[in-house]
Amino acid sequence: MSLVTEVVVPRYGIAWYPWAVQYFFLMALSYTTLWIAAPGIILGKKNWLATSRLALLACVSTTLVAPVALLADLHQPLRFWHFYAHPTPWSWMSIGSFLLPLHLVCTVLLAWLAWRPALKARSQAGDGWFSRIAGWLAWGNWQAPRAAMVLVGLAALTSSLGMMIYTGAEVAIVKGRPLWHTVWLPPMFVATGTIGACGLILLLNRISGMRQADTNRQMLAIMVGACVVAGFIALTWFLDGANAVSGSVAAALDSISQSDAWRNTAMEGGIAGVLLAALAFLARRTPGRRRAFGWVLGLLALHVAWMFRWVVLMDVQTVARNSAGFHDYHIAFGSYGLTGVIGIFGLWLTALLLIELFVPWREASLDPQRDAPPPTDASPTTGASASNASVSAASQGAPRHG
Amino acid sequence: MDPIRRSLLGQLARLSAGAAMVPLSSVASAGINDQPVRREGDPNKRYGMLIDLRQCIGCQACTVSCHIENDAPLGNFRTVVSQFEVEQEGTGEVATFMLPRLCNHCDNPPCVPVCPVQATYQRQDGIVVVDSDRCVGCAYCVNACPYDARFINEKTQTADKCTFCAHRLEAGLLPACVESCVGGARIIGDMRDPESEISRLMDQHRDELMVLQPEKGTLPQVFYLGMDEHFTHRPDAEPGIWDVINEAGKELGYEFGH
Repeated sequence: MSLVTEVVVPRYGIAWYPWAVQYFFLMALSYTTLWIAAPGIILGKKNWLATSRLALLACVSTTLVAPVALLADLHQPLRFWHFYAHPTPWSWMSIGSFLLPLHLVCTVLLAWLAWRPALKARSQAGDGWFSRIAGWLAWGNWQAPRAAMVLVGLAALTSSLGMMIYTGAEVAIVKGRPLWHTVWLPPMFVATGTIGACGLILLLNRISGMRQADTNRQMLAIMVGACVVAGFIALTWFLDGANAVSGSVAAALDSISQSDAWRNTAMEGGIAGVLLAALAFLARRTPGRRRAFGWVLGLLALHVAWMFRWVVLMDVQTVARNSAGFHDYHIAFGSYGLTGVIGIFGLWLTALLLIELFVPWREASLDPQRDAPPPTDASPTTGASASNASVSAASQGAPRHG
Repeated sequence: MDPIRRSLLGQLARLSAGAAMVPLSSVASAGINDQPVRREGDPNKRYGMLIDLRQCIGCQACTVSCHIENDAPLGNFRTVVSQFEVEQEGTGEVATFMLPRLCNHCDNPPCVPVCPVQATYQRQDGIVVVDSDRCVGCAYCVNACPYDARFINEKTQTADKCTFCAHRLEAGLLPACVESCVGGARIIGDMRDPESEISRLMDQHRDELMVLQPEKGTLPQVFYLGMDEHFTHRPDAEPGIWDVINEAGKELGYEFGH
């Protein structure tokens, strides 16, 4: 036996910055909120409509901001066009660079179709600039068939599956980082993403003033389910590798046994996850509790989803591969660190507020022909005028703008 | 030593199967995260390096000459010699172990297929290079390399790594690290040429050669002679370097990169 001391060793920095956490966080919210929007907006399930409207807002805002975070994580952001000049079908990241714009276009198109009837109605409302902008956004008074919306919705669902697969595979194929190189990581991204999406919708339900009782019930039910699934994935991942001498579980146990920081992280993660599952289970049992605690659980769920990505993407990079101990990583204040994290959240808030200001998203409709004349009215020219009343009547929210 | 045998067999197979098979194998390798076709470089050569650890005195001449030759930013290294103090637990006797590190120019380089813009590629002579005009600086390759051989060059904001000094090899010169090695510990050469020094040494020491992290399946082409198996992986060592702090807890001695 001998004691080994490292005397000379280079300092290895981290290669992916907190921007990457923001991208994976927002993108996971994007595809999972789309799935939550699907029953109401795409499949036409009436009791999901209110939830779908919130989910659609969450989906569009996260989808718009996520690519900014991704771009910022490149050291040469202005060279992003190289992705399209040199397509590389064997690289997951290149595949993602083609899926991402597709996903963005599909989700924004879907939301636009869902928001158009309300936009058209607002454009007729004589509300000054808000009406004028609503008219521009509606882009004419024509009506899209319901089938177009279903088709765009299905395309968006397909692209969201692509995003789910690529974001998971991109990280999980990296053999150089044993903690990433496990088949259990991609499903865990999806499970924690779903938890975060439910949390975000619960939070939006409260702060938007919609306060839909159905939404609280539905989101807490899905959240409990996603917590159970995440628990099973974590357990299976552990059992799958508990006896292996190498691999992601062995690397995790190594880190936990060697580092206080990792011990604390594991404790925090475990406690936050179990606490969230337990609280969600308790809160979902009565409408009063759901109303009172929904948004608090929402915040906790977003915390769990974000922290999971922080630990996976940032903390794992501090595990040394060729030197003893752990790399020192303290989040910098500048744009490679804290300012970047806050900046992306700020941008997201801005996107939410701009949509809130200019789009009557509370009245999103599953039928792009909402404002069409009723079948008994044969006149094809009265299209937009009758819409306002019908939209408002169907809306379960409190329409307001500005 | 299996990976070495496999890589040698692989190279023999490639030689014997001949150039006719190359286009076929490139068509077959279209799967996601598979190795793309190699381009540029001499297809008749396969560069590799043998490092005779018995000759290394840890003088870091290679580190310095590489740094100057390739203009790496302060704090980043294309090659470096890790040094360890090994104390015999019973006797308290102390010895020093040197481990020169550089890009392994693997036969199955994990950094190449991940590159989303094909800026990182493997030449036909086995050298893995980066086209810094094309690189977008996504750092995917930096994370993919299990040997930490890559870094983001803060001057160019692109991926940077050892190229076996390809520009010098093409001019008929030795890489800076080989040229400056006082003990002659680093031997570079064409492993397809049976008469080259590296081929002869590999034949002579076949059973003693080791590579870093062979279980990763990367088939490294930097071979170590006089290696202790404990050091082929992340060392089970005290991280001494981080203890250099002043009374206020501020780290001293590592001014690089700030």
